[in-house]
Amino acid sequence: MTAEKVEQNPEIIGFACSYCTFKASEMAGSLRMKYPEGVKLIQVPCSSRVDPAFIIKAIMDGADGVFVAGCHPGDCHFIKGNYFTRRKVAALKEMFDAFGMKERLRLFWVSAAEARRFVDKVTAMYNEIKELKNAGKTG
Amino acid sequence: MKTGIFICHCGHNIKHTVDVKRLSAYFKSYTTVEVAEDYPFVCSEPGQDMIAESIKKHGLDRVIIASCTPSLHQELFKDLLKKSDLNPFLLRRVGIREHCSWVGDDINGNTEKARRLILAGLYSAAHYVPLEEKRVDVVKTALVIGGGISGLSAALFLSKMGMQVFLVEKEADLGGHVRMLKDYWPGRQDGVAVIEAMKEELQARSNVEIFTSTTIRAFEGSFGNYAATLETPAGERRIVAGGVIVAIGFTAFDPHLKPELAYGRDPRVMTTLDFEREGKGLSLPAKPRVAILHCVGSRDEQIGKPYCSRVCCINALRVADAIKEQYPDSYVESFYMDVRAHPKGGEEFYEDTQEKGVLFTRANVAEIIPGNEALIVRGEDTLFNEPFEREFDLAVLSVGMSPPEDNRHISSLLKISLDKDRFFLEAHVKLRPYDTALKGIFIAGACSGPKDIEDSINHGRASAVKLFGLLNLGYAFVDPFISQVFEKRCSGCRMCEQACVASAIKYDEAKRVVRVEEAACMGCGLCVSTCPSSAVTLKGFGDTLLDEEISAFLEAI
Repeated sequence: MTAEKVEQNPEIIGFACSYCTFKASEMAGSLRMKYPEGVKLIQVPCSSRVDPAFIIKAIMDGADGVFVAGCHPGDCHFIKGNYFTRRKVAALKEMFDAFGMKERLRLFWVSAAEARRFVDKVTAMYNEIKELKNAGKTG
Repeated sequence: MKTGIFICHCGHNIKHTVDVKRLSAYFKSYTTVEVAEDYPFVCSEPGQDMIAESIKKHGLDRVIIASCTPSLHQELFKDLLKKSDLNPFLLRRVGIREHCSWVGDDINGNTEKARRLILAGLYSAAHYVPLEEKRVDVVKTALVIGGGISGLSAALFLSKMGMQVFLVEKEADLGGHVRMLKDYWPGRQDGVAVIEAMKEELQARSNVEIFTSTTIRAFEGSFGNYAATLETPAGERRIVAGGVIVAIGFTAFDPHLKPELAYGRDPRVMTTLDFEREGKGLSLPAKPRVAILHCVGSRDEQIGKPYCSRVCCINALRVADAIKEQYPDSYVESFYMDVRAHPKGGEEFYEDTQEKGVLFTRANVAEIIPGNEALIVRGEDTLFNEPFEREFDLAVLSVGMSPPEDNRHISSLLKISLDKDRFFLEAHVKLRPYDTALKGIFIAGACSGPKDIEDSINHGRASAVKLFGLLNLGYAFVDPFISQVFEKRCSGCRMCEQACVASAIKYDEAKRVVRVEEAACMGCGLCVSTCPSSAVTLKGFGDTLLDEEISAFLEAI
């Protein structure tokens, strides 16, 4: 190891709902907005498809952060899928908290039109986790 | 397993920031990968031929296309597989343009990301199974929401093609904004006459039912079988429609939001729409001085309307022309940012009004001060960079288009999205300008963004054509991404049954397991993540597939 500290880049995995967040990410691309390469998306038909097991698997496999993103409350194409997601993620977050890593799991709502919001959310998450990771605080 | 990976350059769009040669060379080393090629445009005809030939030559059983985002050209590539006698659900699209090359600048970082994305495709595609598209019966009826010029055009077209049409309008009369126009440009037609002609034609048709003074209270169902509850003056009415066209138009910008323009405080300040109604009867001096303000409620970041409303320049020119016609000795000054007289004949009309003596001043108008004798218009001439102050007898505000007032209501009822300006969002701004994200629901006219009459009519007809194409056969094919229960694993706890919004999960009392009603399943996957016994899976989005994607993103290479 050299004395100089090498900055580590985090790996963020996001589960994106096909109807909103994935569309927003497409739009972000079309508008040539920039966000870090460390953010990678997995397309799911609805945020409620995300089994907490996926999130745990991602963390166990070495992801520094996982986010689940769906439609705003009331806008779910499947009527109330995102309410189930909210419950599940909240429960899982408590568990993450017990391990001192609640920052590594996030849930947010991004509609199909909110490309800017998508980029802001993922970039903020990336930067915050990067800081924690380099400070050795990702749990 | 024989996988073919085809990486698109998309001209320079992908190649510029992703090292496609390195990627294709890298994937050749995988034992399951039979072919890994990069190609300038895989969607082009030679590109498709190349893929078809590879499938034939190497006997491929999985095709991975790394190119634009999966929602673009999906049908094209699915058809390509079908033509090559391969099940279209053995195709995997990997988005390395919208999700990689366009969102990062670093070629090494992007190439690594693209490699991970393709790897995720490769891993999960290995578990793909051939699927059959789900055939659904569709009702050959259409619900058209909004009886403006666009909705009327759509309804007329559909009705002429022999489809039952339900036309819903919340006002007491059809026609929307066009009804207010006395002689619209070009052609100088009377809006009422145009609408009445269309209305008569519609009323004469037996397959059209018109509901005026009607609103929509509830909306449910899925493509081919949507159901809406209408609140009509005669009471509640439930209708079933195979598809929907949303054509709820726009709201004219309310200049009260710009109080510095004195609209509503002084009768001498009016909008282009007011002028349309009252212009002829105004009592003006023999040589009136008239100011016309362009871009009121358009191209204005401060009030959250950054877009161009497209119609207001022509409206402004029309007002100028009308005043010059009535008062040849009038002084008419038009304050503009740019004159965007874009429709056919617009530029000539602009030149024509200039020849008639209308003065065009590039300016930002700061305020209109109502004086006793005259209106005082203050602003800055942006060509001379000088402030000015002039007196006028009349000021006409060329107001832009704001989103329709029912946009929130309709978007939450139908579950379709609004864009950043709160107009309805199209599935793709260039390639699918009529579609929404929901199959069978289309948008038409100014509710998807400012449009003039011609564009609104075209948009309405185009949406009607698209809808007709979907419903015409009486059946349609939809993606077979529906849930499936493994009876052996099911403990009969019925948690999925409670969660399912579509009521597609039924409990079998005799067997003490659940089963899925395929026709009702919407494919959200909630039951899958709810099941504690992993007894339910979602075709196309199974646990293994998603697990593999996670592994591909994170494994050490």
